[in-house]
Amino acid sequence: MESVLVWIVWFVAAGACLGTGVAVVSMTNPFYSALSLIGNLASLAVLFLLLSAEFLAAAQVLVYGGSVMVMFLFVVAYLGGRADAPWAGGPRLLRGAAVVAAVALLVEIVVVLGLAWGDNLTDPAQIEASFGSPASIGEALLTDHLLAFEITSIVLLVAAVGGVVLGTTREKDEEVA
Amino acid sequence: MDGPDVGWYLIVAAILFGIGALGVMMRRSPLIVLLSLELMLNAANLTLIAFARQQGDLDGQIFALAVMAVAAAEVAIGLGLIVAMARRRMLLDVDQASALRG
Amino acid sequence: MIVGAWICLVAPLAGALAITLAGTRISRTTAGWISTLTTFVAFAGALVAFVGLWAEGHGDREHLSTAYTWLESGDFQVELQILLDTLSSTMMLIVSGVGGLIVWYSMGYMEGDEEERRYFAYMSLFVFSMLMLVQAGNLLLLLIGWGLVGLASYLLIGFWHSKPEAVAAAKKAFVMNAIGDVTLALGLVLLIWETGTLEYLGVFEQVDGLSTTTVNLVALGLLGGAVAKSAQIPLHTWLPDAMEGPTPVSALIHAATMVTAGVYLLVRASPIFEAAPDVQALAAILGAITLLVAGVIALVQWDIKRVIAYSTMSQIGYMFLAAGIGAYGYAIFHLATHAFFKALLFMTAGVVIHHLGGEQDIRKMGGLRPLMPRTHLAFLVGALSLAGIPIFSGFWSKDGIVAAAFASGDTLGYTLYAAALTGALLTGLYTFRLYFAVFHGKPSELVKEHSHDGQREGPLSMLIPVGVLGVLATIGGLLVIPGVWEPFLHWIDETAEPTVKATVGQDYATSAIAVTLGLIGFFVARRASAAGRQIVTSPGIWRVLEHKLYFDEAYDALFYRPAAAISVALRRNVEEPVVERSLDEIGTGTLQVGGEVARVQSGLLRTYAIAIAFAVCVLVVVFVAVR
Repeated sequence: MESVLVWIVWFVAAGACLGTGVAVVSMTNPFYSALSLIGNLASLAVLFLLLSAEFLAAAQVLVYGGSVMVMFLFVVAYLGGRADAPWAGGPRLLRGAAVVAAVALLVEIVVVLGLAWGDNLTDPAQIEASFGSPASIGEALLTDHLLAFEITSIVLLVAAVGGVVLGTTREKDEEVA
Repeated sequence: MDGPDVGWYLIVAAILFGIGALGVMMRRSPLIVLLSLELMLNAANLTLIAFARQQGDLDGQIFALAVMAVAAAEVAIGLGLIVAMARRRMLLDVDQASALRG
Repeated sequence: MIVGAWICLVAPLAGALAITLAGTRISRTTAGWISTLTTFVAFAGALVAFVGLWAEGHGDREHLSTAYTWLESGDFQVELQILLDTLSSTMMLIVSGVGGLIVWYSMGYMEGDEEERRYFAYMSLFVFSMLMLVQAGNLLLLLIGWGLVGLASYLLIGFWHSKPEAVAAAKKAFVMNAIGDVTLALGLVLLIWETGTLEYLGVFEQVDGLSTTTVNLVALGLLGGAVAKSAQIPLHTWLPDAMEGPTPVSALIHAATMVTAGVYLLVRASPIFEAAPDVQALAAILGAITLLVAGVIALVQWDIKRVIAYSTMSQIGYMFLAAGIGAYGYAIFHLATHAFFKALLFMTAGVVIHHLGGEQDIRKMGGLRPLMPRTHLAFLVGALSLAGIPIFSGFWSKDGIVAAAFASGDTLGYTLYAAALTGALLTGLYTFRLYFAVFHGKPSELVKEHSHDGQREGPLSMLIPVGVLGVLATIGGLLVIPGVWEPFLHWIDETAEPTVKATVGQDYATSAIAVTLGLIGFFVARRASAAGRQIVTSPGIWRVLEHKLYFDEAYDALFYRPAAAISVALRRNVEEPVVERSLDEIGTGTLQVGGEVARVQSGLLRTYAIAIAFAVCVLVVVFVAVR
């Protein structure tokens, strides 16, 4: 019985995930695109929960859906009408190539996964209740993966500084423009 | 595990990745290209977490966390670039940024 | 106690960094004081460590302190650790104590130089490196210190970089030392390979289990390093040239501390050398040869500093001899007394040079005794000590070594004994030749020119260290009176148990002979000086000695010329036709291809993205297919 309930949740979440994904790439107005991405992130968070990744689901919603997307919406609002962009364009050949490339990627991913993992995807490992909890993630981050953790913080710092530098107005730029 | 096998999650992730890739290659608005990139990154994250569940190993989740951080960094830089483009009164169209033409 | 050792290590580094970072914001005098005070802080730390160690009981005087694990690779790990035992604490005291005095002395000597700050930063760097060398708890840290002192020595020899000779001398010293560094490093690599550790204690435990070949090779590698650093034959030619550096540098690096690092290594690694008796004997033989050759060459040199430099080589020859026959206590004892009296000699020579406006040629000196009475006294103390006249410090340490050579027995021992006694005669000769040439006779033109009534002999910062060292050189030897009172030897024995010990009778008999020879040297030199002639009278021998037995010329013909010839041939036949031409071809080819490829660069970002996607697709197919 519970299994059926999980299946239903999964279908709703996966459907929402793919639907909002399509919406992200197909909207003309970036504002709606960004909103769709928030929906996409939320439905992904549900999938994460189903995969026992509690902490990541929370992080996804708070950090990603919250702060990162708010930053996005700010920029969209700042740009106003100028943000609206033509759907596509350019040579038809280019558009066709893009579709072919995307489909090829998709097919290949499925085929490779099937080849390499097809037989091993049915019996997931037994896990404890604490798997994916903030405590276990925290412990792993601060012990085995401490270096990666610290490097990540440096990456973020560099990105923050870079964002500020790029966004700062200089008198000269305004004149050039 | 109740509900669908990990394979189903992987298929969702693959489709999401494809959609994202299509967005990156088709759309001309840098904002939407950036959003599509986020889609691709999230698809990768879903794969990592699905495999982490399959293997019962937390490392996949840690990696996904790192990917999130990188995605945040990428958004910061990407938005910075877009704002800089707007400041210089450039058209917000990736096809216009073609100074690399050989 | 161990904190004192760490302070001792870190203080000079802090001094060097402070001077470097402060740059021109501090005055030259401030830089000098920073350097001097940090070195004295190091001395205080060494003193604390020493007293702490002294208070411990017998057998407990060995402390390994690890700051952190610094390098880890599989089973092999290297830790940043210092070893505090009787040997290293003694070396710490010598390095920081004598170092502090000499740095202080430099403040007077270098006064008015354009680049004093750089000088003091280098000096602090040197003291730090040397302390690292002696305190290192494993051989890799020792190698680092070994390299760093080489660097500091290079920088300081070439300190007056506008002098071409100084730059050439610095390069020569560096290259010669590099040879030793390489053999030392190779020895260490072999040790890692065979034992999996570089920690002294771990290595020494495993030495017995190694094959004879391995031990011999490792010992040879270490000996190579020691020979180069300590300017022993055949890697000795850099030391006399190194006198181009400022005199305090010569006193500190090229007399008191760095050049004796080789002796320290021999004693520190004594378990390895004892497992390779042939190599240990080789060390003694090289020491004996060096002490003779250097002593003979010193007889004909005209440069006051070069005479002392050759004497340094000769005295280190004694130390090698001692370490080679297993008289470790005496090797370190002579190292200590030598540090006192040789630094004293260099510093008094520095006072003289300073007084005479930079002149170093003893032919232009003479009759300085009445003009510089205190300097004369200090130099005389140094000379008496060097020549091994009782009660001065050199007497106690050198005679101990000579007697130990006798006690070691067999043909080799007696040969070494004879060589060492001959060395004692030579020492007396060249020491007093120098002494009489500089201080006696009539004042020369140059001396008169630089001497005025009421003129002081030098600034206080120069005279006080000279005085302190003078006292040390006089009484420092009283730490070992054979058969009566030998605390110094007992102290060192705890770390390096000697394999040979002279009886009291041998000691006093040897002393009698050696002192007689030293006095003969004194009288011969005085008669020669009074008669206005040289000790070496045959012009043929003179010429050979003046060319330093043609070592430089031989190396030039053996190594430099063939290497240069090969280089020229390679340039003409390989570099120009093959390498350069092919580079040109590659360049123009790339340019052409690039011109074609540039057309693909549409500048449209989306085409790039699509290209990447297709490339990934293809690569995936390839990977799957290959798998």
